[in-house]
Amino acid sequence: MEIRTSGLSVGYHKTPLISDICLSVKQGEIVALIGPNGAGKSTILKTLSGMLEPIDGEIYIDDREIRSIPRNQRAKWISVMMTGRHETEYTTCYEVVSVGRYQFTGIMGTLNAKDHRAICEALELVGAYELRDRDFNKISDGQKQRVLLARALVQEPTILILDEPTSFLDIGYKIEFVETLKKLVKEKQIGVLLSMHELELVRNIADRVICINDHGQVDCIGPVCEVFQTDYIEKLFHMAPGSFQRIYSDINPKKEKAQTIKKSVNSKTRFLMVQGTMSSAGKSLVAAGLCRIFKQDGYRVVPFKSQNMALNSYITEDGLEMGRAQVMQAEAAGVKPSVYMNPILLKPTDDCGSQVIVNGKVIGNMPAREYFQYKTKLIPDILQAVERLEEEADIIVIEGAGSPAEINLKQNDIVNMGMAKLVDAPVVLVGDIDRGGVFAQLLGTLELLEPDERARVKGLIINKFRGDKTILDPGIRMLEERGDIPVAGVIPYMNLHLEDEDSLTERFMRRARGELDICIVRLPHISNFTDFDIFEQIPEVALNYIRSADEIQEADLLILPGSKNTLSDMKWLKESGMETAILKYAAKGKPIIGICGGYQMMGERICDPYGVESGGEIAGLGLLPMETVMEEKKHRRQVQGQIGEVKGLFSGLSGLSYEGYEIHMGVTKPLEKQNLMEFTQEQTGYAMGNLYGTYIHGFFDSQRILQEVVRGIADAKGTNLNLDEVINYRDLKEREYDKLADTMRKHMNIQGIYGMMGLDYDEAGTVTSKN
Amino acid sequence: MTKRCTILFGLEIVLIFILIMVNMNTGSTDVSLPEVFSILISGGKGDVSSTIILDIRMPRMIAAFVLGGALALSGYLLQSFFHNPIAGPYVLGISSGAKLVVALLMVAAVKYGMVLSSVSMIIAALAGSFLATAFVIMVAKRVHNMSILIVCGVMIGYICSAVTELVVSFASDSNIVNLHTWSLGSFSSISWSQVHTFIPVVIVGLLASVLLSKRIEAFLYGEQYAISLGINVRVFRVILIGVSSLLSATVTAFAGPISFVGIAVPHIIRSTYKTSKPLVIMLASFLGGGAFCLFCDLLARYLFAPTELSISTITAIFGAPIVISLMIKRKRG
Repeated sequence: MEIRTSGLSVGYHKTPLISDICLSVKQGEIVALIGPNGAGKSTILKTLSGMLEPIDGEIYIDDREIRSIPRNQRAKWISVMMTGRHETEYTTCYEVVSVGRYQFTGIMGTLNAKDHRAICEALELVGAYELRDRDFNKISDGQKQRVLLARALVQEPTILILDEPTSFLDIGYKIEFVETLKKLVKEKQIGVLLSMHELELVRNIADRVICINDHGQVDCIGPVCEVFQTDYIEKLFHMAPGSFQRIYSDINPKKEKAQTIKKSVNSKTRFLMVQGTMSSAGKSLVAAGLCRIFKQDGYRVVPFKSQNMALNSYITEDGLEMGRAQVMQAEAAGVKPSVYMNPILLKPTDDCGSQVIVNGKVIGNMPAREYFQYKTKLIPDILQAVERLEEEADIIVIEGAGSPAEINLKQNDIVNMGMAKLVDAPVVLVGDIDRGGVFAQLLGTLELLEPDERARVKGLIINKFRGDKTILDPGIRMLEERGDIPVAGVIPYMNLHLEDEDSLTERFMRRARGELDICIVRLPHISNFTDFDIFEQIPEVALNYIRSADEIQEADLLILPGSKNTLSDMKWLKESGMETAILKYAAKGKPIIGICGGYQMMGERICDPYGVESGGEIAGLGLLPMETVMEEKKHRRQVQGQIGEVKGLFSGLSGLSYEGYEIHMGVTKPLEKQNLMEFTQEQTGYAMGNLYGTYIHGFFDSQRILQEVVRGIADAKGTNLNLDEVINYRDLKEREYDKLADTMRKHMNIQGIYGMMGLDYDEAGTVTSKN
Repeated sequence: MTKRCTILFGLEIVLIFILIMVNMNTGSTDVSLPEVFSILISGGKGDVSSTIILDIRMPRMIAAFVLGGALALSGYLLQSFFHNPIAGPYVLGISSGAKLVVALLMVAAVKYGMVLSSVSMIIAALAGSFLATAFVIMVAKRVHNMSILIVCGVMIGYICSAVTELVVSFASDSNIVNLHTWSLGSFSSISWSQVHTFIPVVIVGLLASVLLSKRIEAFLYGEQYAISLGINVRVFRVILIGVSSLLSATVTAFAGPISFVGIAVPHIIRSTYKTSKPLVIMLASFLGGGAFCLFCDLLARYLFAPTELSISTITAIFGAPIVISLMIKRKRG
């Protein structure tokens, strides 16, 4: 007999967890499923044993499709032992095992002599005969496991499915269990499909191995000896290279190659790491400036940051997510953004948990504590990303995160000094003088570093300086003396129109008054707020992020931005009184633009039937007759198109072309189309009167759209602005990067920076700066 | 079956016999035991004593025994369904749902001058049971916390009782006086014709339960295990809940909602028999439920005679502490 699948997809609630599974188990062989926790091994086993419906594909038993086989017939062939436990009461082990005779007993379940014999045999086979009269609830986990195996065996199956059968057993019983199983397979010609975490045991008993990776794929199927290569196992389980061998002896003894955790340094590519004394010290901009400087000097530069924690992600052309700061740096470096520049992205979902995105793909939500333990498993991903970048870079500028001196988090660090060690990069440390205490920041940070880490720091940078530098000079001398590390530059405070990274930006705090006020509702889970930075190039426009209801009414344009959690932010709008204020504002006929989450909130209601966010349903603002249903699938893509015929304040937008990207979970559909105008194409946005909504991020980035929007509100207010100087976002940024690079060149010891990387500036200087 | 079970079964039967004797003997009119026997043997001479014994006490006793047993059995089936020993038709509001629909039907019947048959009462009670059960199952699908489920059940019970009270107070017809006693739960005024109706229904329920016992045992080890044994769990669950509702609805139709029997009796049986074999538990619970209700009915009649207490008052005094102790024992809810 053989059980076999073809193109099988398994999962819960019609969502496939693992797709395209093709496996087979024959009588007399043992096949093992291995893979990291949560990969879906149990789900496969449950589906094969009929506990779950297959989502797609077929399961065959001897060429008969499983659905065409009656349930009781299937139960005679296949028996199952799963990990889940059911508490019993007043039940002896003998009784537990006797239930396995279900298919053999009559309607009343009375056991005959043959049944009793089979039960005793099974109990003896697993070495649990002495337990037969004991209460099942009062025996140890290992004993329970053996009794449950007896229960599976008493069914006299041809195929046995076991879910982690050895998990609760001590090493002695593990070995005994494995021996029992081997004996069974040989004597009774049973076929066994099992999942197992103990790779040593798998190697011992399994004939074939099926590896499931945590991206929902069958990674590899094959005989044990072929699959079990140390580096493959390390990759499959996200272990740091070498860590498997340290604990277990090399599973494949023929192969002898001691790998160290430090990456072998490619002699061609140089690294430079920018670390900061605190968040928002200006690391991102300094790194971007360095990227542009090296680019101007003729080097191929790429930015890198191992792990970003930000709400605001960027979607690459392949539809993958990465941090925005590296996108900005890539622009500065003149290269296309790639997820390898930011292999790990954490998007905070609530106060103590984050969505973890590795190489652009969501691998799940994790509480901070769990992630802290987990992250070392991501080192191979980081190194792999670095290797990819090395292929096309002379210099990799690495950005750190936060401060390298967070002594509580230093263990397992993979973003700051841990990262620098991985690739053996020199470090420049950036302090923020604007927030004060820059000497203490720099010296304190150095003080808290380990000696070998401190030795990595080759230069200090004082950032965001305003005023007369001569006053600072004595301080700098003392800093160099006490820190014994040269100051590589004092960079003045710059007002640049470049994208910010963190949610912790000064933007939010700023209150400005301009001729035109654009207010953005600062939702608690606001995301992608850089969509609106483009407005800042117009001096007459004041961009304010508001939190309280009374700030709304002054606005000339109200923007509802994207949200990481639309339902909860909608609730916040209601609770904070913001909703009433927005409705009052809209009733005056003033314009509102909703982007993504904000657009969803403008509708009649938002439903979350699958619990994608918080579950349930909430009424929206009711400004547009639309309804949003959250779906489990995430839509993300880059888009371009033409704005439809719209009326209202921004009728000038009609027919203009837009470019941007979509990233959202929900689908928004109009409830009635009478008054709605198509705003952006393919059902991504609608407008009605002065209310506009769209899913497109980066919508305002085009010069024409920006001009029309600002002109619209200016006309409504009766002011006349000269908008001719408004330029495309892209051109604006190019100008800003050059400005940044020039300023940094002027105030920094660039020769020293090249020196840190072992490059000669004179040689480099032959490629003169373009400006 | 173990020796322990055999002895306990014997004890239960003896207990029931004694309770029947005492019940026959006790009441507003004293009829001595020899007199009772002579009436039973001769089949009654038409005097006051024989009427009391044959037409009042006999049907009432049979009702207490059979309906009590049905209630305990219904409780056990619900517990198997929810995998939880705190489930029961009363705490989950199923009895109250049945009560509401029956009360509505009664009031309607009085208003339009119809005479209600016992069968129509059962059907009405069944409809009410199903409504309440459907609601409870819906809640159970959303929350996996038994305590919340029970709070919901109790709330449904309150709502149904409130509406029933409302209906009863407004229908101030003299015929409705009985309705009030009934709506609190009572075995009084059960007639022979009613006995003839509910006995077959309860026997059907009992037989169906016995036939389900093998599946229930497999189901004890979890739904997924039952599926792997080849049981069509969906169909099984529908039948299980159907039989349970039929039993509790029958009880409610004739004796009103009676509290806690469904939880207390199976619990006592499990912990004295020290087994969880469904067949044993079901039969023992049926006998035990009968004995328990005979005993409680005796107290209800005797304690403050001639005033009669509602049966639920007595059953609650014994049953509620058991529910509380069970909830404490299962801290995880």
